Amino acid sequence: MRSKWAILWLLVVLAVGAHQVWFWLSARLDTDVLALLPEDEQAPEVGAATRKLADGASRELVLLVGAKDWEAAQRAAEVVREELSRDASLLKPSALDASSLDVALELYRPYRDRLLTPAQREWLTRATAEELGGTALMKLYQPAGPRLTDWEADPLGLWPDWWAARAAESTARPRDGRLWLSGEGREWVLLAFHSQVSAFALGADGHITGAVERARAAVTAAVPDSRMVAAGVPLYAEAAASQASDEMSTIGIGSMAAVLLLVWLTFRSVRPILLVGVSLVIGCAVAMSVTALVFDRVHLLTLVFGSSLVGVAEDYGFHYFAARQGRPPSERGALMRGLLPGMVMALLTSVVAYLALGIAPFPGLRQMALFSATGLVGAFLTVACWFPHLDTGALPVTPFAQRFATSLARWPRFTSTRAWWMGTAVLALFIAGGLGRLKTRDDVRQLQGAPAHLIADQRELGRLLGLPSPAQFFLVGGQDGEQVLEREAKLKARLDMLVADRLLTGYRAVSDWLPSAEQQRADARLSARAEAQAVAAVAEATGESPTRASFADGVLTPEQLLASPASAAIRQQWLGSMGDQHFSIVMLRGLNAPSLLPHLAEAARGLEGVRWVDKTQEISGLLERYRELMGGLIVLGYVAVLLLLVTRFRRQAWRAWLPTVVGTLFTLAVFGWVGEPLQLFSVLGLMLLLGMGVDYGIFMLEHPGEGSAWLAVALAGVSTLLSFGLLGLSATPALRSFGLTMLLGEVAIWLLTPCCRLPAGKDVS
Amino acid sequence: MKRVLLLVTLLAGMTASAQDVVTQVRARLADVPLLRGDFEQKKTVSGFKKPLVSRGVFLLAREQGVLWDTKTPFASTLTLTRKSLSAQQSSGAAAYHLDASKEPGLAAVNEVMFALLSGDVAALSKRFRVEGALEGAEGWKLTLTPTDAGLARVFRVIHLEGDKYVRQVRLEEARGDVSVILFDKLAQAPSPTETEAQRLAK
Repeated sequence: MRSKWAILWLLVVLAVGAHQVWFWLSARLDTDVLALLPEDEQAPEVGAATRKLADGASRELVLLVGAKDWEAAQRAAEVVREELSRDASLLKPSALDASSLDVALELYRPYRDRLLTPAQREWLTRATAEELGGTALMKLYQPAGPRLTDWEADPLGLWPDWWAARAAESTARPRDGRLWLSGEGREWVLLAFHSQVSAFALGADGHITGAVERARAAVTAAVPDSRMVAAGVPLYAEAAASQASDEMSTIGIGSMAAVLLLVWLTFRSVRPILLVGVSLVIGCAVAMSVTALVFDRVHLLTLVFGSSLVGVAEDYGFHYFAARQGRPPSERGALMRGLLPGMVMALLTSVVAYLALGIAPFPGLRQMALFSATGLVGAFLTVACWFPHLDTGALPVTPFAQRFATSLARWPRFTSTRAWWMGTAVLALFIAGGLGRLKTRDDVRQLQGAPAHLIADQRELGRLLGLPSPAQFFLVGGQDGEQVLEREAKLKARLDMLVADRLLTGYRAVSDWLPSAEQQRADARLSARAEAQAVAAVAEATGESPTRASFADGVLTPEQLLASPASAAIRQQWLGSMGDQHFSIVMLRGLNAPSLLPHLAEAARGLEGVRWVDKTQEISGLLERYRELMGGLIVLGYVAVLLLLVTRFRRQAWRAWLPTVVGTLFTLAVFGWVGEPLQLFSVLGLMLLLGMGVDYGIFMLEHPGEGSAWLAVALAGVSTLLSFGLLGLSATPALRSFGLTMLLGEVAIWLLTPCCRLPAGKDVS
Repeated sequence: MKRVLLLVTLLAGMTASAQDVVTQVRARLADVPLLRGDFEQKKTVSGFKKPLVSRGVFLLAREQGVLWDTKTPFASTLTLTRKSLSAQQSSGAAAYHLDASKEPGLAAVNEVMFALLSGDVAALSKRFRVEGALEGAEGWKLTLTPTDAGLARVFRVIHLEGDKYVRQVRLEEARGDVSVILFDKLAQAPSPTETEAQRLAK
């Protein structure tokens, strides 16, 4: 019977092994922080918009190379360009130069007559025939000027103005064949590169980061006083990947090594080390495979979090070997049967606690929950199915284990004495005081642990270039593209007022580059009438008979624009059709003051199809909602676990339950006293404490007075502590807060559990 | 200054002999803080059979701007400063104003116009490949080809001729239009009148 289970589990493990080989060969690891963020429950199009903005930027690397004068800046830019172009399979220069303008000019040329700025529209509507004629005449006789067409195709010289308005979207200007801008005491050259590797596939090796650093060193050496600012998703992705893999090896290997060392100290035998090691490896492999099958891609942060799983999964192996020590091999089947009720109970509470993580609709959390729960089950099944078969030799009691097991008798136990009640009162005061000081924080930035220099560079670049914010935007929807463009125009009229009041620097909308068909036709009529008058006046004044050029019959359509490279600037803002609606994004520039946000929310009010999206605020709000929800669930969880314990341990159930409650409250109190805010991820830590802390009580109650149970609990406690303590070192604030919660809570619970043990000679039954 | 010029010309990819020409032309040109005179402009524009001829007076005040006042075939004024371009018909029928800070392309064209009228070869060398030759005891000819893509969009090539002053400018625009401007009665005085100073201050 038992060997049947062992064979069945072997088949599963073989299948997992095969899947693991395939998984690591195809490397479906995810490093994108956005993938961890929750979907917007109400509006899937907002999620699509955010993804599109992120995807559009996911391969772009933008650099500003500055020096004190233009010549030096150009030399510096050349050094950087050469250095970064060295490996063509890594980075390709993006076309930001004049050639892309030529492509755009050719695309727009047939539609020149229907591309008007608001100011031109206003002027053409009110200008008299005399004024139009006079202006055309003056521009005709002007020595030279920025013309983009023959005189006949633009007699009033309107087109350069339209392009100037488009160019105003960026502070960078063409100069000497480069893109130039001036600011913060330097002259800058703007360079852009396109990563040839997807941000998702970027490894921890940091190829692009390395190239950028080499370029930085080269330019500093070649042009003193120069400065290079680099930003882009590839840099973030590489930093995240290398950080996660560093942490994974520190935490994973660190805790694995610590656990194995403990096992060696306790058993002085290779067999327990090997078998516990096998249960951990299988647990992790099962977790990885199941997660990959369910989620398609595994996030690196899941692996970091999952590394701490090692600290929990070895509990079952410890429990078995602690009980097995000093017993003859023939008893091992019966021994396992005796341990199973307690182990299943412990597994159940842990899995329930882990799965509760998955209630929150964070794709990242769900992954971590599934990963941890299946990892535990995998490790447990390995212990239950295989250990009695593989563990055949003798396992004598070691002096270390002996000394430790007997130490339980000397551990203090709560009794109704004056000193214990005094201690309890002090603890109660400490907890009450701490809880009174506890603060909360729900900030999306806790999900990111990006290096400070990257964030600083990104800010500087955004400031110099006047880049639009990707986290706040307007989403404009309509039945078709035409309606979307018309609605954009209405929104822009309101935004123009904010720009006029200098609250906002500007915005970037698709309709700036592609007016609605109706607008195009109206503008074409307007310019045809005005330019006919202008041409007539010039004909009269010069005695010649110039004719106005003819333009395209149809309008410029979204399809035409999107098919052209000229649309690069706005392509990511045109979402096209989603379901039965069409959407576009209007982005904002110069959005520096948070006080402006309510104005913008107000600007969208009453406009049909327009929605203000503040991603930062939305996610923070979501984090807050789930912190509160999970907080409530924890209280419910404690009640449920108590009921579960009562069914088995009756009136003694409190002995397994109370240490965890007190440990949790103690952790919160310490947070309160030291000023560490409570956030969703510390609440999630509390959830796990519930699942794991109760295990110790269960083991102690199942095997009262047994030194081996105490030894197992001690080993489990110390190794869990090690693994979560290391998680407290993570550079990702969310993981660090989670690790600290686990660390404090575990220590407290571990210290308190033996204090609540049964008096010697008593049994739960 | 010489070192800067050398650097500038090196960057512009000039040959050693062209460099000599620039230096020599600079030596022949008078350093003029103020220049006035008459102009005659013949502009050949596509769509017009005959060249469009206009005549008038101009004033160049270095560091301030250019006043370009057409007298025939119709009266109009053009004021070109580092900050803006404004034009007005004296009949009052039409006027327009462009702000250079909002239109950087205009600022570049303004700089070139300044440099052309005042013969500021050093400034021109930053944006053009300069080739040329000396003529006679005092004369010279220069051919300017834009090196800047933005400027190449406006001008194909510019020819300059002169002696102590720039006497003739031939602007060949990228679109094919050609303007030939002849200067006459050039003088470094009198200083700007009050009205002129007001216009230049705009």
